Parts: sequence; C-alpha cells; structure tokens
Amino acid sequence: MSAALGLLAVAVAVLAQAAALPAFSVFGAHPNIIIVLLVAWAAVRAQREALLLIPAAGFLLGLLDSQPLGLAMLALAPLILMTDLRELRWVESNLLLAVVITAFASLVYELVGLVTLAVTGERPDWLAATRDVLVPAIIANVLLLLPVYGVVWFASADVRQRPAF
Amino acid sequence: MHVRTRTWFSVVIIVSLALVGASRFAFFAPLENAALLVAAPVESALRDATRPVADFVNNLTDINRLSRENQQLREEIEQLRRENALLREEQTELLQYRQLLDIRDARTEDTFIAADVFAREPSNLRDVIAIDRGSADGVREGMVVLTQQGSLVGSVSRALNDAAWVTLITDPTSAVSALIQESRAQGVVVGAADGTLTMEFVEETADVKEGDLVLTSGLGGSHPPGELIGQVVEVERAAQELFQAVRVQPLADLSRLEAVLVLASFLPQEATAP
Repeated sequence: MSAALGLLAVAVAVLAQAAALPAFSVFGAHPNIIIVLLVAWAAVRAQREALLLIPAAGFLLGLLDSQPLGLAMLALAPLILMTDLRELRWVESNLLLAVVITAFASLVYELVGLVTLAVTGERPDWLAATRDVLVPAIIANVLLLLPVYGVVWFASADVRQRPAF
Repeated sequence: MHVRTRTWFSVVIIVSLALVGASRFAFFAPLENAALLVAAPVESALRDATRPVADFVNNLTDINRLSRENQQLREEIEQLRRENALLREEQTELLQYRQLLDIRDARTEDTFIAADVFAREPSNLRDVIAIDRGSADGVREGMVVLTQQGSLVGSVSRALNDAAWVTLITDPTSAVSALIQESRAQGVVVGAADGTLTMEFVEETADVKEGDLVLTSGLGGSHPPGELIGQVVEVERAAQELFQAVRVQPLADLSRLEAVLVLASFLPQEATAP
C-alpha cells in the first residue's frame, strides 16, 4: 500500500462517514471511521503517510459536511501530534497505543465541535454533551478501531515489521 | 516531539483557519456544491446499502429501550385504534359538511419542493441533513422543511446551487416558537446535543399533559403557525421554578428521513422584509 491508496481509503471513509455512519448508533453516538482509519494507519504504517492523510481527510470531510470548510481539518489536526507517540515507544503494543490515541482523538474532535458551538453563540450543556455524546463517541470509535486496525494491518505486508498486538 | 511534526501541525492549523475564514464569505461554495453534486449519488447508494446493517447494529445496542418502547407502542396502538374508529366517523361527517360548504383545503395554496435526503452531518453534536435540491430549484435559506406526512423537520440553513443543508429541530442550534395545542401554552422548542427536544419557557401554571400535541406558534415569523412539531412525552414541574420543562418527541423519526418537502410558499420574516 502507499499514500495514494491511503488517499483512496480516506475518500471512501469520508463518503461512508457522511452517508452511512450517521445511521449507526452505538450507545447514542455514531462512530467516526475517519479518526479510526487515520489512527490505524499511523499505528501500522509510516508516519509520513499519516501526516499527509490527516489534512487530506479533513479537507475532503469539510467538502461534504455542513460546517465551514477547514473546521474538520482543524478538528483532526491534533492527530498530527499524536503520530509521534508511536516513535516514543511508551508501550510495545501498537494496538493498545492505537486504542489510547483513538480515545483521545475522539475526545478532541468532539470538543472542537462543542467549542465551535459555544463560539458561535450557542449555550451547549457541557455535562450532558460529555455524558450523551463524548463518552459514547469514544466507546463507538474504540469498538470500530478493532476491525479497521485488523484490515489495515493485514493489508500492510510491505511495511509490517512488528506483530499486530 | 519532532520539529517536522510540529511544523506540519502549525501549517495545517494555519491552512485550516484560513479555510474557515474564507468560508465565511462563501468563497468555496462552488467547490462544496460540486463536491456534493458528485458525491450525492454515491452517498445515496451507500445509505440504502448500509441501512439494514445499521438497523441490526442499533437494535443490538438498544435492546432494553426497544422492548420498553415495544410495550408502550402496543398500548398506544390499542388506544389509537379506538380513537381511529371514532375519528373515522367524525371524518365522514366532516367530509360531508365540507362538500356542502365548498371549503378549500388550506394546504392547496402551499407550494412544496420535494427533495431526497442523501447525507447527514458527520458530527455527533449536530443534526443537519443534506437534500438534493438547492437554490437552482428555488430552495432558499430559512425555508421550512416538513416530512411527507406534514410534521416539522427543520429549516434550510444553507442553500448551495444544487443541494442544501437542513438544520433539524433536534439540532442544538434550533429554536422554534411553539404552543401546546390543547392548552395554548406558549414556549420555545429547542434541540440538544443528544437529539432530544425540550419546550422551554412554558409557564409553571400552564396545563400541560403527556400526549398533548405541540405546534409551531408562528411567533417571530420564522415558521408558519400550526405546523405539527411533536407530542409531549414528559412534564417536569419543580417547586419555585417559573417555568416547567416539557420533553417533546418529534412525530417523525428524524434519524431515518429519506425524503422531505421544502415549504416554498413561506419565507421567514427576515427574508421577506424590505
């Protein structure tokens, strides 16, 4: 696989996120396949590929969502910093690291949405949003990570050096 | 942390903010319109293909709520059947009166633009849908959107050339002036991040019961009066509170919308004012 294939995968994920994923509800939230795919890609494959895919995914998602173009890119940008965590080797398991990053990236992504609501003059109920949106979104994304990570790992024979788990 | 990563992060943040800034002036509207136009058929096909899988997964994670809801629905069906029989009798009488008096149906003066829903805002915090009709078809920002059965869905928040975004009444940014049909108590129906509806500012002394219908009041001029919003499912009266909290359930299942009607004959007051 290459970055070009990654871009194709991201484009398909963006279409799926806009069209299909909102129909899935896990504990009241729908999973975000874009975050999950980017985390799995960064955990399994080369960091430089992930660095290219993150803004590309944000840009494509911005074209297909109702928010101002660039907001999705802004919400995904913290993932760029998180790609360095793999190099630090805090934990040997790439999957465990991916789970932690997915949880954190989901939290940041939804928080950007909440802050945007607050900045645009709305009064979001932070406690209710945390209970009904943030926590379910984290659980939904971590659950979705497992199959997506598996697919990316199996399709990455060219760069795979370490075991999946 | 690598310098390369930090630099790239800074570049992406700057580009993102520049794009957000440019979007405020609709700079990218043609590009977004073209992207939605190209993606719409693919998204529609994806929606249709994944719907059965989504239903299966949702049922698995929602089994308790579903069995409770099933019981409630059984009881409700029984009650509705009884009411239906009575209403049929009344309807027959009413039709006879109408024919006699030649009363025109109020809805015949309204014009609608039928549209298919092809996408939904991916964020968990927003309830916004994309429809396949835009300003080229006569859709304007602020127009009211209804289900095919006639209950309120939301209003057009952004009209591109060939597509439009509709903010649903369950969106946290939505606020609709409303009244309870039976008691005529007024309030504002607002959405929340978890997709529920609450009617706020209902006076503590107002007589509100579970099952009461909630309609648009027309106050403020953003919605025509008399559009059906939903049904009261819970009333909370707290001592020493000026207002009661009324939970409202939309009549339509807004999470499964496939086709909607844009009410083209009504424009909100801001849009029609000189």
